[in-house]
Amino acid sequence: MFSDLILRNSRRSRRENGLFFSSLVISIVAFYMILSLSKQDVMVFLAKMESDAVNKLLMMIPVFYGMTLGILFFLIYFACKYQLERRRKEFGVYLMMGMRRSKLFTMLLAEDLLSSILALIIGLTVAVLLSELISLVTAKVVGMGIIGHQFTFSLSAICFTIAGFLAIKLVAFLILSSIISRQEIGTLLAHSSGNEKKQKPAFVYGSCAVFGIMMLTAAYTMAIKRIAWYKTGLMLLTMLLGLFGTILLFYGMRAVIALLVKAGKSDRKLHVFTFRQIQENVIHQSTSMAISSLLILAALCCFGAGIGIATTSRQAGDHVLDYTFHDYSADNPQEFLPHLQTVLKKNGLESQFSQLFEMRIGHVRTAENYSKVFQMESVMESLRSLPQSEDRDVLLNNLSYVDYPYLICLSDYNRLLEAAGKPALTLAENEAAVYQDSDFTSAARTAMLGKILSGHPEVTLNGNPVKLTGEIQSVDLVTDRSITLSFALILPDEQFLHETNGNNEVYVNGILSQEATKGGSLMTAISDMNARLDGIGLPDMFIEYESYLQNIGRQLFYMVAASYITIYLAIIFLVVANTIMGVQFLMNQQKTGCRYQTLVRLGATYQTLCASARKQISWFMGLPVFVAAISSIFGVQALFTGLLSAGTQGMQGEMLVVSAAMIFLLCVIECIYMTAIKRSSDRYLLTLMQPQREE
Amino acid sequence: MEPILNIENLTKTYGAVPNQTKALGGISFQVTPGEFLGIMGSSGSGKSTLLNCIATVIKPSGGSIVMEGKKLQSLGGKALAEYRGKTVGYLFQNFELLDNLTGRENILLPTSLHGVTEKESHLRLKQLAEYLEITDVLDKFPMQMSGGQRQRVAAARAMILHPKLILADEPTGALDSKNAKNIMEKLSGLNRDEQATILMVTHDSNAASFCKRILFIQDGVIFHELRRGDESQQDFYRRILKVMAQLGGGSCNVL
Repeated sequence: MFSDLILRNSRRSRRENGLFFSSLVISIVAFYMILSLSKQDVMVFLAKMESDAVNKLLMMIPVFYGMTLGILFFLIYFACKYQLERRRKEFGVYLMMGMRRSKLFTMLLAEDLLSSILALIIGLTVAVLLSELISLVTAKVVGMGIIGHQFTFSLSAICFTIAGFLAIKLVAFLILSSIISRQEIGTLLAHSSGNEKKQKPAFVYGSCAVFGIMMLTAAYTMAIKRIAWYKTGLMLLTMLLGLFGTILLFYGMRAVIALLVKAGKSDRKLHVFTFRQIQENVIHQSTSMAISSLLILAALCCFGAGIGIATTSRQAGDHVLDYTFHDYSADNPQEFLPHLQTVLKKNGLESQFSQLFEMRIGHVRTAENYSKVFQMESVMESLRSLPQSEDRDVLLNNLSYVDYPYLICLSDYNRLLEAAGKPALTLAENEAAVYQDSDFTSAARTAMLGKILSGHPEVTLNGNPVKLTGEIQSVDLVTDRSITLSFALILPDEQFLHETNGNNEVYVNGILSQEATKGGSLMTAISDMNARLDGIGLPDMFIEYESYLQNIGRQLFYMVAASYITIYLAIIFLVVANTIMGVQFLMNQQKTGCRYQTLVRLGATYQTLCASARKQISWFMGLPVFVAAISSIFGVQALFTGLLSAGTQGMQGEMLVVSAAMIFLLCVIECIYMTAIKRSSDRYLLTLMQPQREE
Repeated sequence: MEPILNIENLTKTYGAVPNQTKALGGISFQVTPGEFLGIMGSSGSGKSTLLNCIATVIKPSGGSIVMEGKKLQSLGGKALAEYRGKTVGYLFQNFELLDNLTGRENILLPTSLHGVTEKESHLRLKQLAEYLEITDVLDKFPMQMSGGQRQRVAAARAMILHPKLILADEPTGALDSKNAKNIMEKLSGLNRDEQATILMVTHDSNAASFCKRILFIQDGVIFHELRRGDESQQDFYRRILKVMAQLGGGSCNVL
């Protein structure tokens, strides 16, 4: 009998409140996703390449786990509260009939457990499938066939998911049921109604809203002008300004809504009622609306940052080189290539490389005065004559530091161009081409400088006049993307050898032959090669090497670490914010149910009531989203200015695309949530359509 | 005079076949325009069921309710909503004012539901507010009003669209005697001056003494009727009390 009741009740609550149940499932998925990160293909692959960094990231997982636990606790707490609030009367009746509190408690606990187990079964299945999907997609998108895929299933992640989920569920349940059980039966049985809070004069709220907006403006000005990034203290101040600004804004928003109540055309059906309802929600829920808005803002910023970082990491040059060798003993740089070739030949590895060529770079070694080896007054002059713009000033500033540039040997660079499938560069005597790595500049700035260089300006290098010519070069010199040159000159071989006085660094670039890569993915080919290279004791000969894969691994790591985690957090924030808002609204609707009943008696149709409730939902959820969307325009911009490299700062267009995509995504998610909540509200209103007189 | 409301052999049974409860056992009566009719009876006598049937809150099991020539059972959807909002005005025991709306907004609620412009209802609002002495609480919320003020605001809401019939369900039930007297005076004043037709359910003999005719219901049937002739309210009240006493004593003591 008792167990029947439990089964029935638990089934009923799941059916009645799908939103709550799905939020449970989502929180389980969230737990599993973060915990199973170490078993994801990308991570398995990265762990081989960049074990240190990966381990550092994996050490952070407990922190994220804890954070998720904390945020999801609020979600579950609110959802549970709503669930129990709905059934107050029922509990009152149970107690009236002489059910002991302990028995009621056991019953609720058992019901809860039943739902939790079901949520766990569904959630974990979805989570495992979803993490597989993400694995596959990342393998496809970033791996380009580098990463192989295998089915993964993390037992420890499942255990921790179950433990974490049940723990927060239990804590929330204990707190809520202790509140319920302390109430008198009479209060439980009575129709609960929101108690009116003392109202302050309208101008207090108005000035709160204005003050809130001022604080927000200050916060975003500090963030965008980079003031916030100077010191931790300033950052904290910006954050606090933003936080309290938002809370104040929502606190004062009731004044704005009060104006709307009066301003709207009263001809529209239930206009006044609808806006009074919205106003009441805003009054009672201003803090949680502010928190939801901030969570959505955090989600948007995370999305923006994640996508931004992902796109900038992917900008790296094309895949040209597979290996770069470097002799760090630096005894005899000229002898390095023949030496390496002999070593490889001796070990039968020569056929594995289709090409091996030197990349020589160095500095001017023959100058008398090293402080002014390179001067390009003419270039600076033409830059200064351009109309003032941010790009021009940045360029002027950057170039003013270039007085002792790296030099690159032309024939080596041409071999690189050939390998990359680009036309070779020809330079006459006393001509030089400019090399700038794409990390240090933007498309707009490169174009600006390129235009000046197309006029072949004359500069001085080590006292000799040199003409700058050709396009600005930016093909990566070696595989390692950590080695980059912000500004270098490509010189004809003779001149290069003369200026460097034969004192230069030599890197040997290698490209794997078809034989080496046939069969298997590039990953296996390079891994095999790495094992063989380690086997022949290259380190003992003071030769170190860097493969394309290690390099890609490092980039991939930044990308995955940044984008995966930010997007993960974004989704969690979004889900939590929406669920809190939805549950709050439905809870309030339940509390004010008798108002709708009165309206029915005054002759409101079901359609009119639904339309009013739907409008209330759109406003109640739309307000925080709207505030968050506005804030995110500044927030994402601030994040970009603070976090991203110079290379991407000029890309206003791309940033706009990213923001537009984000806002679109947000709209889709909000639409889904609003529809779910509107349906829920329609269902509830239908139950009110048969009003009964209370005796 | 043509009756505004004609109730013919109205029955209502609750529950399934083996253990049915008969709430109304065939009631027939008529309400003529301008009448102030009271319905009295003890708890469980079926008076609330009767009122709820007229208000279309519940569906009767048999018989007919004809309002201005239209059978209520045949109404549905929009026509039903129009009926609830425009043809009848409902006055509740516990006022049922929306506590997040000001007095004015509460009173104008039916107009916004039935697409009447504020301009049209403005004059009516002013007139009602003055008569019911609620002009200075129009911009207050129900929480800031006294019980009597709340019921008068509710009365204004019930009257705003000139309903053909006002259904009052224990309008004095939640009020002290002073406020109860006040609201009853106002209602009978509306009846007298505006020829408002009022159907009131009550078990307060004092309130009932304001009526022109009283139907007494017991166990789902009409068991007595009182008409107030030229006698004073005091005398009418005494007659009501006498019937009430007999009602309490059981049906064997009937007149």
